[in-house]
Amino acid sequence: MKKEQKVEDLFLEMKDTSELMVDLAYSALLFNDKKIAEEVYHLEDTIDDLYRCIQRFAVKKTSKKNPDMALALIRLADSIESIGDSAREIADVVLRDIEPHPVLKMSIRESDAVITRVNVLPRSILVNKTLGKLRLASETGMWLIAVRRGKKWIFGPDENTKIKSKDILIARGPEAGEKVLIKAAKGKLRKL
Amino acid sequence: MTKLRRHKYRKKEFAEIEYKPRSVKDLLTEMKDISELIVDLAYSAVKFDSEDMAKEVHELEFEMDKLLYQIRLAAMLAARTPEDAAQLSGILQVASAAENISNAAGDIVKLLESKIEYRPFLPFVLKDADEKIIPVRILERSSIPGYRIGELRVESETGARIIAVKRNKKWIYDVEKDFKLKTNDTLIVRGVEDGLLALKKYTEGKKKWPQIYKLDEEGV
Repeated sequence: MKKEQKVEDLFLEMKDTSELMVDLAYSALLFNDKKIAEEVYHLEDTIDDLYRCIQRFAVKKTSKKNPDMALALIRLADSIESIGDSAREIADVVLRDIEPHPVLKMSIRESDAVITRVNVLPRSILVNKTLGKLRLASETGMWLIAVRRGKKWIFGPDENTKIKSKDILIARGPEAGEKVLIKAAKGKLRKL
Repeated sequence: MTKLRRHKYRKKEFAEIEYKPRSVKDLLTEMKDISELIVDLAYSAVKFDSEDMAKEVHELEFEMDKLLYQIRLAAMLAARTPEDAAQLSGILQVASAAENISNAAGDIVKLLESKIEYRPFLPFVLKDADEKIIPVRILERSSIPGYRIGELRVESETGARIIAVKRNKKWIYDVEKDFKLKTNDTLIVRGVEDGLLALKKYTEGKKKWPQIYKLDEEGV
């Protein structure tokens, strides 16, 4: 039973990583940002490692007793891996020497889910609070993809990530949520 | 069991797509939106063992094939210089990546074709993800029925994104802001746990929806 749980954890990490990669890839395109695009490449290594672990698990633990289950495990992992590959293909466009076509930016901006970049001002209520405490996602619908602090990046921040003054946040969500996030970051909101 | 293999670019299927001059931008926006919806739908289909949702995934997958074909035509017609061509090839690369994502979603729902005992791990895969996918039903005593999604601003109010709605026995996908919610609708939503719990309080009528917004002509 314990082993079973472990393969589920591998899948979870793979799924979450693949989704972060897609978000980052579109963000990289929107902001024409090579650093974000490079992170997508790094995350692909993570996905590949996880994929190999799942394959090994499937072959070692289940293939003799239950070959169909082993196949199902590998097929699901394979699909998630190709989502990661697609994200890398998108990021690749940013890493070329040619400036991405302006239409790319426009079409991402017009999409249902908005990707936005906001500066956190010192007087903002977001400052010095963790994401877990702020509950940004449930209060505003905005999902944080990355945080830029000076020259450093935090990709895929978690509930323990603390927002600091002058951070640049990259987030995805509905238009109405974007407005709330911008106001909060500027210090124009006292409560989320 | 032999199955008909669907060739991607069978002439017959694509001969019917007449060339409509749609802008590359619109085509790409639609492809991006579908690529995001289809993955959520695929995981939901597998999690809830829903053949209807799986069918919708396959339909969207086919829609993506058509969009990719159209965007290729549009890009070729737009290129005038080698520089144009180089930039446009980047657009096509993004478009085909979006199409590949939809293919992956199609492969995920194909898992439903195998017997349920071979895929006991599937529901767990989604259980503890950063964002979860759950069904919520709108009860009669809830304050939600009769309002449109944009009037409630469901996503910015609770962080829960509506992937699909089940009404009577029918599924409705890709619901827009002017979609009116009704009693007994089942929403398949994606979001973080506390947002989903908040939404449940409203749909079960334990709490009144905090604010109703006006929907202007742009639907915002």
